[in-house]
Order: sequence, then C-alpha cells, then structure tokens
Amino acid sequence: MLEPKTTPAQAPASTKRGPRVIRRGGREHTVLLGIGAVLAVLVILWGGQLDPFNQGQLTRVAIFAIAIVGLNIATGYIGLLSVGHSAFFGLGAYTTGVLVVKYEWDPLMTIPAALVVCLVVGLLVGLPALRIRGLYLAMVTLAFGVAFPEIVAHFDDLTGGAEGMTIRRQQLRPPEWSGFTLGERSQWVYWLCVVVLLIVMWIAHNMVRGRYGMAMIAVRENEIAAASSGINIAVMKVTAFGVSGAVTGVAGSLFAMYIGSLFAEGSFTLLAGITLLIGLVIGGEATRSGPLVGALAVVFVPYYAAELGQGQVAAVLFAVVLIFVIFVAPAGIVGGIAKAVRKVVVVTPRIPRKPEGTQQS
Amino acid sequence: MLEISDLVMRFGGVTALDRVGFTVADNEICGLIGPNGAGKTSLFNCITRIYRPEEGAVRFNGTDLLSLRRHQIVRHGIVRTFQNLALFPTLSVLDNTVVGAHSTSTPHLVPSLLGWPTTRAARRRVEADAWELLERLELTDLAFHPAAGLPFGTLKRVELARALISRPSLLLLDEPAGGLTHSEVNELGQLILGLRDDYGFSALLVEHHMGLVMGISDHVVAMDFGRTIADGSPAEVQRDPAVAEAYLGRTA
Ligand SMILES: Nc1ncnc2c1ncn2[C@@H]1O[C@H](COP(=O)(O)OP(=O)(O)OP(=O)(O)O)[C@@H](O)[C@H]1O
Ligand SMILES: [Mg+2]
Repeated sequence: MLEPKTTPAQAPASTKRGPRVIRRGGREHTVLLGIGAVLAVLVILWGGQLDPFNQGQLTRVAIFAIAIVGLNIATGYIGLLSVGHSAFFGLGAYTTGVLVVKYEWDPLMTIPAALVVCLVVGLLVGLPALRIRGLYLAMVTLAFGVAFPEIVAHFDDLTGGAEGMTIRRQQLRPPEWSGFTLGERSQWVYWLCVVVLLIVMWIAHNMVRGRYGMAMIAVRENEIAAASSGINIAVMKVTAFGVSGAVTGVAGSLFAMYIGSLFAEGSFTLLAGITLLIGLVIGGEATRSGPLVGALAVVFVPYYAAELGQGQVAAVLFAVVLIFVIFVAPAGIVGGIAKAVRKVVVVTPRIPRKPEGTQQS
Repeated sequence: MLEISDLVMRFGGVTALDRVGFTVADNEICGLIGPNGAGKTSLFNCITRIYRPEEGAVRFNGTDLLSLRRHQIVRHGIVRTFQNLALFPTLSVLDNTVVGAHSTSTPHLVPSLLGWPTTRAARRRVEADAWELLERLELTDLAFHPAAGLPFGTLKRVELARALISRPSLLLLDEPAGGLTHSEVNELGQLILGLRDDYGFSALLVEHHMGLVMGISDHVVAMDFGRTIADGSPAEVQRDPAVAEAYLGRTA
C-alpha cells in the first residue's frame, strides 16, 4: 500500500539465485545443528585424551573464552568499552586463591564466590555509567585495570603481594566423585573448564537471543529510542557491567585452579585486559561464538609466533594478525564468516503467529 | 487528555518554545503545524523528557510528565516517532518492533539468562503481536531484514509499528509522511484513522503536508517562534491570517 513493493506476503522460500533459505527449527536446521553438536563433542573428547601440554593449551582456550564471553556482554552487546577487564579476571583468581589457601575452601565452592565478588565489584565499577557517558566509563575501567596489581601488592598478607601466591597441589586435588586422581589433575581442570564454558555460552545465548539481549543492543544502537521504548538505560548498563564482570571473574577463578600460582604483575595487568579486548575484536564483537574463536587466537597466535622468533616478534605478529583481521573482516572472524555464509544460506526465524483461538482486538 | 501550558525552552540565544500551550483531548487527532524551526520537534522532546523545559507544565491525564524520566513516559501511555528516525539498525524490523513492547512486557535478567519457559512464552506472545502489526502495516516481507538500508518511508512505518505495540493512549507523530509520494500520503492518512479506530488513541501529528493534516485532524494548532498562533478546527486555522503570515513571512 505505502510501499511500491509487489512481492506477496508469503514469498516462496527459495528464489532464483538468492541464498538458500532455511527455517529455524525446521528439519534442515535441526540436522545442521546436530552435525555441529556432534563435531563439538568430538573435539571436546579429543581434547580430553591429549597429552598434558596440549590439553593445557585447550584449557587455557576455554578459560579465555569464558573471560571474553564476559567482556562481550559489556563491550560487544551494550557498547561499554572496558579496557580493564583483567581486573575482574584477577579478582576472580585471587578470590579463589585466598579462599583455598587461607580459608581452606573446596576449590569448586570458590567459583560461585568469585562470581558474587566480581558481580558486586562490577556493579560498583559500572555505577558511573548511571551518570556519565561515552569514554568516561572506559577511563574508569582503565584505572581499575591499572590499580588492580597495586591493590594486590597492598594487601600482601592476604595475597602474597609481589612474591605471588601459590596454591599447593594437594589443595587442588580433584574431588572424590570426579574419579580423577591427583596425578590426573590437568584432565580434571580441562573437563571443569569445558563444562563451565558450555554453561556460560548457554547462558549468554539465552540472554542474547532473548528480548533482554535485544534491549541491550537497542541501548547500544540508539539510546534515545531505547529510552523512549521504556528501557531504563542506566539500570541496564550497570546490570550488564556487573554480569560481565561476574562471568570474567569465573574465568579468573578457573585460571587460578589451572595455573596454581598467582602473580598479579604477570597475569592480571592492563596488558591482559587489552589481550581480552583483542580476542573479542578478532573473534567478533556481539557474536555468540566470537569469544571462543578469539580465545583460540589469544592462546595460539602468541604460541606459534614465539616459535618463529623471540620476544618482540610475538607481539608484532599478534599486532599484524589483529590488523589483518580488522582489515579483512571488520566484524571479526565470526562476523566475517557469518556474512559470507549468508550469501549462500540464510536462516530465517519461524513466523511468529498467535496460537488459534487467542486472537484479540 | 494532554495539557501543555506555558512551556519555555531556550538554546543559548534561541527561544525554541516561548510559552506554548494547548490541549489534546482523548481520542482526537490534533494536527500541529508551523514553519521550519517553529519549535514542533522541541515540543515533542519536552513532552517525552528528552529536553527539560525551563518553565511551564505538561500534564497527561493528571500526571505531571515533567516529573518523570524518559523511560517512564511510555508507561504512562505516550509514545512517539522521530522526525529523522531513531531505529536500531542491526536489529530486524520484527525485533525493532518487539523492543517497543519493553514497557508492557519487561524481560527480566535472571529468567532471561536461564531461558525460563515464561520468558520464552512472553517472547512468543510479543512476537506474535508484533507480527500482526507488521501485517497491518504491510511490513511482513521485510520482517527479518535488518533496519539498516531500508528506505526512509519504510522505516517511518517501522517506527509506527514499534510505537503501536505498546498500545499507547497518546501517539506523537513527527512528520510521518516524510519520504512518501503523493498517493502514499493519502493512504497514510487513512491508515492513521483506521489505526485510531482499532486501537483507540489520541494523536499529536506534526506534518508539513497540509492536505494530510487538514484531512484527518479533528483539531489543529499552529505554532511560530515557539508560540501558539492559532488553535481551532482545521477550517478555522486555515483561514487564520496569522497562520498565512507565518508561512508567507518565512518563504517570501
Ligand atoms: N538541541 C538543540 N540545540 C540547539 N538548538 C536547538 C536544538 N533543538 C532545537 N533547536 C532550535 O530550536 C528551534 C526550534 O527547532 P525545532 O526542531 O523544534 O523546530 P521544528 O518546528 O521541529 O522545525 P522543522 O519543521 O524543521 O522540523 C530551532 O531554531 C532550532 O535550531
Ligand atoms: Mg521538527
């Protein structure tokens, strides 16, 4: 009527030359998802029987992926640039370290503790978002990232300060029910990290594909329109920042279990925060699997770069990869692949119709 | 009923609103006309709390709108569209519409994270409702298309869908006919009247297209330099010498 478009409302699914259309939830879609799931299971099982070194690399991928999923919530979806997410990573790690070493907690129980601590701190750090906009929050996170190692050094009777903190092997013994012995600790940590990663990705998926995630994207893309639609922008930003910090904190907690010894000056400096950001950008901001791809890059690019040369070479290669990815695929690897795939196949949602008999007005 | 009284809004030396005041009755379509820069959009921005006026009052069914915050306005039944579009470019047309239902069916954090069945059911309900509106506005072909890249006139209708899904009692339309051809403007007029009959709302309609305003408004207000210069039936306002002068004075 208003639009000079003549295509009928129910256009046939396949058009000439255009991409193949697959309905979400339809047969083809289910088959594709099934294949994906089987591949994922195979990769995870393959990782489960690798030698300790290579398995450790995969464990690190899982840990960084969780951390980047957290960062993605704040930076990718709601658009709050956080440079200092390393501080949440460190805070989660030290929560686990201190609770296990000083208070003899069961390491598993420290995961929820790290989550809560980082959630609360995330809400507090996110509070400036209530009033100030733009890059100011990035500045606050920068300060937080810079300050974190100093804070750790300051509370040296709790954290070991500059000397670091070592969790004894004995304290990281796999739980009885897991069936892993102390000697199989690296396998236990691998499976633990994989399971937590799957849970975290599932939660992020629920959030992002639901209306909550849509509201977050709305805030990122147009604050005035989002507010006029009834979204309390300030509350949503602060909440998202808290959740983001909490998820990254969980990754830190797992990192403490994996690595066993914590040095704030080594693992939790601003450089680590920037590494997480780079991982997010390479993988693909505001995509669901981008964090996993980014984590692969963050773990393996420096590793292979180090084989090619010493010191600076690794950093330079990392930078080259970053620039290359941004040049070829500004939306990251996952964003770029998704765009290419959409030329061949598109998945459209089901038409959301009201169930019979509930038609109103 | 919307009651605007003595609103004053200044930007540096420019007085965008200079004691403007009028009322919009329930279920009526009130046209708001005036030359460029008269202050029409500024008035919308004051009503929806994007601007804070320096003086004056805006009341809607007894509620003091100026005491509310931006996101609370829609909870009191007022939604708007934007002169220069304010959509979410990467979201699909359907999802843009769904976001409009945030106030009537608010998604909560924890159930959303866990993918709770009630959250999913609410989403299906809202999407089905959005789909019906898109059918009504002939947008279903584009439902899964991102808003980015669609023509201006189409996006204006997406904004209309996003506004209507909250079932407003007052709709503020800022130049809805922008980007439309002559015959499309007539259809838009019929559409607005039809939607009002079906959903029951009052509307404040800012438009430069006189045929549209005079054709569908129950009541017309003319503004110039931030002041109300005429207020009455379409015929009365059209005859008003102050209105003719406001338009001639600018264009001549
Ligand atoms: N944010 C702002 N900052 C400075 N001046 C502004 C701002 N918003 C509006 N103005 C000024 O206020 C006056 C009224 O502008 P407004 O946009 O309300 O007019 P309008 O009636 O909507 O015009 P048009 O028909 O062109 O949309 C203009 O002089 C404009 O320049
Ligand atoms: Mg205007």
